[in-house]
Amino acid sequence: MSTTVTTTAAPVFAPKVRRMTLKRRRQFAGVVFALPAIALVVCFIGIPIGQAVYYSFTQWNGATSTWIGPSTWTQAFHNTNLWTALRNNGLLLLTVPFALALPLGIAVLLHQRVAGWRIFRSIYFLPTAISWVVLGLVAERFFAYQGTLNSIIHALGFSHVSTNMLGYQSEALIALGITFIFTMIGTNTMLFLTGLATLDPSLEEAARIDGAGRWRIFRSITLPHLSRFVQLAFVMTVIALFSALFSLIFVMTGGGPGYATTTMEFLIYETGFNQGDFGTAALYGLILFVITGIVGVVQLRLIGSNE
Amino acid sequence: MTTVLTPPTESGSHKEPPPLKPPPRRIGRWVLFGAMIVVAVIMLYPFFVMGVTSLKSESQFLSGGGFSWLSWSSLTSVIPVGQEVLSSTIVCSSSIFIILCVGLPAGFAFSKLRFRLSTVVFLVIVSAMMVPLQAILMPEFVNVTKLGLTGGYTGAILVYAALGTPFSVFLFTTYFRGVPDELIEAGIVDGLGYFGALWRLVLPIAVPAIATVTVLQFIQIWDDLLVGLLFIQNTSDRPITVGLAVLAAGRTTSIPELMAGSIISALPAMLVYLGFQRYLVKGLTMGIDR
Amino acid sequence: MAEITFDGVTKIFGDNIPAVDQLSLHVAEGEFMVLVGPSGCGKTTALRMLAGLEDITAGSLSIGGTVVNNVLPKDRDVAMVFQNYALYPHMTVAQNMGFALKIRGQSKGEVARKVGEAAAILRLTEYLDRRPKALSGGQRQRVAMGRAIVRSPQAFLMDEPLSNLDAQLRVEMRLEIARIQRLLGVATVYVTHDQIEAMTMGDRVAVMRGGRLQQCDTPQDLYDHPKNDFVAGFMGSPPMNLLRVGLETTDAGVALALGSQRLAIPASYATSHHLPRVDGPGVVFGVRPEDVEVRDGSSADSLTTRVERREALGAEILVHLSLVDVGGDNAIVVNDSGAVVARPTKLVAKMGPRSGVSVGDHLDVRLNPDHFHFFDADSGLSLRRGV
Repeated sequence: MSTTVTTTAAPVFAPKVRRMTLKRRRQFAGVVFALPAIALVVCFIGIPIGQAVYYSFTQWNGATSTWIGPSTWTQAFHNTNLWTALRNNGLLLLTVPFALALPLGIAVLLHQRVAGWRIFRSIYFLPTAISWVVLGLVAERFFAYQGTLNSIIHALGFSHVSTNMLGYQSEALIALGITFIFTMIGTNTMLFLTGLATLDPSLEEAARIDGAGRWRIFRSITLPHLSRFVQLAFVMTVIALFSALFSLIFVMTGGGPGYATTTMEFLIYETGFNQGDFGTAALYGLILFVITGIVGVVQLRLIGSNE
Repeated sequence: MTTVLTPPTESGSHKEPPPLKPPPRRIGRWVLFGAMIVVAVIMLYPFFVMGVTSLKSESQFLSGGGFSWLSWSSLTSVIPVGQEVLSSTIVCSSSIFIILCVGLPAGFAFSKLRFRLSTVVFLVIVSAMMVPLQAILMPEFVNVTKLGLTGGYTGAILVYAALGTPFSVFLFTTYFRGVPDELIEAGIVDGLGYFGALWRLVLPIAVPAIATVTVLQFIQIWDDLLVGLLFIQNTSDRPITVGLAVLAAGRTTSIPELMAGSIISALPAMLVYLGFQRYLVKGLTMGIDR
Repeated sequence: MAEITFDGVTKIFGDNIPAVDQLSLHVAEGEFMVLVGPSGCGKTTALRMLAGLEDITAGSLSIGGTVVNNVLPKDRDVAMVFQNYALYPHMTVAQNMGFALKIRGQSKGEVARKVGEAAAILRLTEYLDRRPKALSGGQRQRVAMGRAIVRSPQAFLMDEPLSNLDAQLRVEMRLEIARIQRLLGVATVYVTHDQIEAMTMGDRVAVMRGGRLQQCDTPQDLYDHPKNDFVAGFMGSPPMNLLRVGLETTDAGVALALGSQRLAIPASYATSHHLPRVDGPGVVFGVRPEDVEVRDGSSADSLTTRVERREALGAEILVHLSLVDVGGDNAIVVNDSGAVVARPTKLVAKMGPRSGVSVGDHLDVRLNPDHFHFFDADSGLSLRRGV
C-alpha cells in the first residue's frame, strides 16, 4: 500500500522524502498561525504606543505636529488639571477596599447555599451584563435632586434634608465612587464565589474537628485560600478604576462640576477632543500607560505564579 | 483542563460541594435569607428604575404618579433604536469574528507549535491586555482617521478586534495547554498537516473556549462607549450604547424615553449573560482556578 | 507490512545528552518487538522517531528497506497507539477509527467496511456511535487499537498502551493485543516499562537503559542468559539475586566466598565462563529466586541462612534470607572480607505456598548449580563464553 501522492500506481512502499522536517513544519505553522494576532496587536496597540511617545514631545492638533521637546512634559506637570485628575484617581482608590469587601461578604453569603441560592446568584450577577452607560444613567437618577436617594432620606423622616451630590464639587466624586463600587460587585463576587468553590471542604471539616469556630475557620482557612482571588480582584478593580470609568463619567457628570470628577482617562478625552490639544492628551495617555503598566506587571506576576 | 472545562458553577458533571456548615439554627437561616433578599433588592434596583420609569410619560415622571406606554410608543422617533441595535450587532459580530479567527490559531501556535521566541511573543501579546485604550487614544484615533476607516464600521471593528485579541490569545493558549499534545500528534500520524489539525481537530475541540471568548467579548463590546463614540463618525451608524450615552449627556431627552432605550440596549447582553453564565465565569477566572 | 531497521540511530535534545544513543535494532516482518526499560531510558523517544514525531540526530531509520529519516509521519504509513489513547473527543468511535482513511480520501463505503471489520475484531460493534467520553477505560483502549488496525499500516507503534488500565484489565488486554497482532501479522514495536508485558507479549524484547540498547533477544533467552547485570536485575519478578563476591580456592575446587561461608562452583563453569582469577577483584554472582531451594542439613553446596522476612503471595512465598556467619551465632549480615563484599549478603528465595518457614528460622539453602550467572565486577557484562 502506497501513500505517495505523486505516483499513485506505485505498488511498493515508496514514501515521499521531504526537505522540510516535521519540526520545521511545526515551527512554520506556528509562525503563520500567530502572525495575524501579532500583526493586529502591533498595528493597533504597539505602534500607537511609540507614536504617543513621539507626539508627547510635540504640539499636535491631529493634523500637524511641531516638535517642542521635553518642555512639553514640564509644562504638563505644571497643569493643575493633571494634578486634579491624579488626585481624583487617588481618592477613588479609597473605594477599592469596599469594592472587595462587599463582594467577599456576598460571596460568603451565597456560599452558605440557602434555599434558592442559584437564583440569588443570577440576580447578583445580572448588573454585570449591562453597560456602564446604562448603570450611569440609573445612578444619575438615583443621586439627582429629585432622585431616589432623596426619596429615601425623606421617607426616613428627614424631610428637611436634601442632597444633590452630583451638583457639588465636594460630593460628586463620592457619588461616582459609590456607583463604581456597585458596578464592581458582580464581577468580584463571581471571582470570590469561584474561589470558594475550589476550596476543599475536607479542610474546613478537619478544622471543625480540631475545634475551630466559624470565624476562626473563615480567618485561618477560607481567607488564606482566597488570597489569590483577592489579589486578582484587586488588580482588576484598580485597572477598571483607571480605564473603565469613562462611561460613568460621560453619562453622570461629564467630568464636572468643574474638574471634580475628571479622572486621568476622562482628562485625556477632554484634552484631546474638547480642547483639541492632541499632543498633551498623548502625553497624559503615556502617564496612564505607566500607571496601568505597574499594576499590569503585578497581575502578570500573579498569573505567572500560578503556572 | 478539567477545571477549566468544568468550572464549579453550573456544569452538571461537577458535583456541588456539600454545604459548609452543619445544619445551622433556624434563626440563623432566616437572617441569612433576609440578608440575601436585601442584596437582591439592591442589585435589582437598576432594573426596577428602568422598568418603572420607562412606563411613565414625561409629565408623569416629573409629578411622580401614573403609568403610560407613551415613552415606549414614541421611543423610535426619539432614538433610532432599530438602526442602533443593528449597528451594535454588526460591530459586535464582526469584531468577535476577527477576534476568534486571529486568537484561536495563535493560541494553538503558542501552546502546541512552539517556535523560536514564541514565549516572548506570547508574553508581549498578553501584556497588551493591560494597555487601556485611553493610553493610546490620540495616535489610534489619528491613525484610523487618516486611513479613512471612521466612515463606516471598519475602524471601530478593527479597534475592538485589536483590543480583544490579547485576551483571546491568552484564553485559547491556556485552554490548549490543557489539551494533551498526543491528540495533535495522533492527527499528524493519521495524516493531517498542521493546517488540517487546526481545522479538523483544534477548532472542534475548542468550542467551550470559543463560547467563553464570544460571550465575554460580546458583553464587553456591546456595552462599550468610547470606541463607538470616537471611531464611528456617522451619527446614523452609532451603536445603541453610544446613542444612549450621547442623548443622556445632552440632558435634553426625556428620562422615561432614555430608560426605555436603556432596557432595549440592556436586553441582548442580559440574555446572553443568562444563557451563557458559566462561560462568563470561566473566562473571568481563567488561569487562576484549578 | 514491512521490516523496520534502526541503524546507529541517535537522538540528542538540547542538553547534549543523547536520549537515544547509537540504537541498532532490526524488527522483522510480522514480528512483535517490545522495547522495555526504566523511565527515561529512551524507549519512547525511539518510538517517536520511528513514528516521525521526533527528528533523528544521527543514524538511519528505515521501514520496508526505505530510509525514512526525512519522511513525514503521514507518509510513513505507520499507526500509533498512545499511552493516553489520544482519542478525538469530538468524534464517535466510528469516526475516530475511520479518520485516517477519510483523510486519505477513501470512499465512505470503504471506510465503513474497514471500520466494521476492525470493530468486529475488537468487539466494539455496538459502541460505534458513542463518543470516547461515554466509554470505559478498556473500551477506549480498544478504540485506540482500532484506529491503528483499520489503516492496515506497515507497522504498529504502541507507547505503553496498557499503563492506564487497572491490573485485571491489563492482563486481559495483554492477551488481546498479542492475539490481534498475530492475527494481522503486522510488525509491531511496543514500548513498556513493565517487564511482565515484555516477557509475555514480545517475540523479541529489547532492553534499554540510559539511551543504550542493552540486549535484544527472545524473552526466554533474555531470562536465561542476560548479557549484563542490568538486564539480569530488570527482567524477572522478583529480580535475580545479585551478590558481589570473591573467588577462593578450596579443597573441592573454586568456590564463592560469601562472608565466612564458601559455595563450591561446579567445574563446568570454568570452561563455559571467563571466570576471573582467584583472589582477584571478584565477580557479581547471580542466582534467580526460584533457584534457591531449601535443604535438610548443610553440605558443600548449601548455605546457612536466617529468615528475615516472608511475603506470602498466595501461590508462592517470597522469603528474604540473610547469610549466617557460621562462626557466630545470630550475626545477621556477614560482611567485609577485604573490600570484596560490597553488598550485604541477602538472598530472596521463591518457595511453595506450603513451605512452613517463619521469620527467625535458620535454613540451609541450596543454590541450583545449573543456573549460576557470573558478571564482570566492573562492566557488569556476562562472563559467559561466546556471548
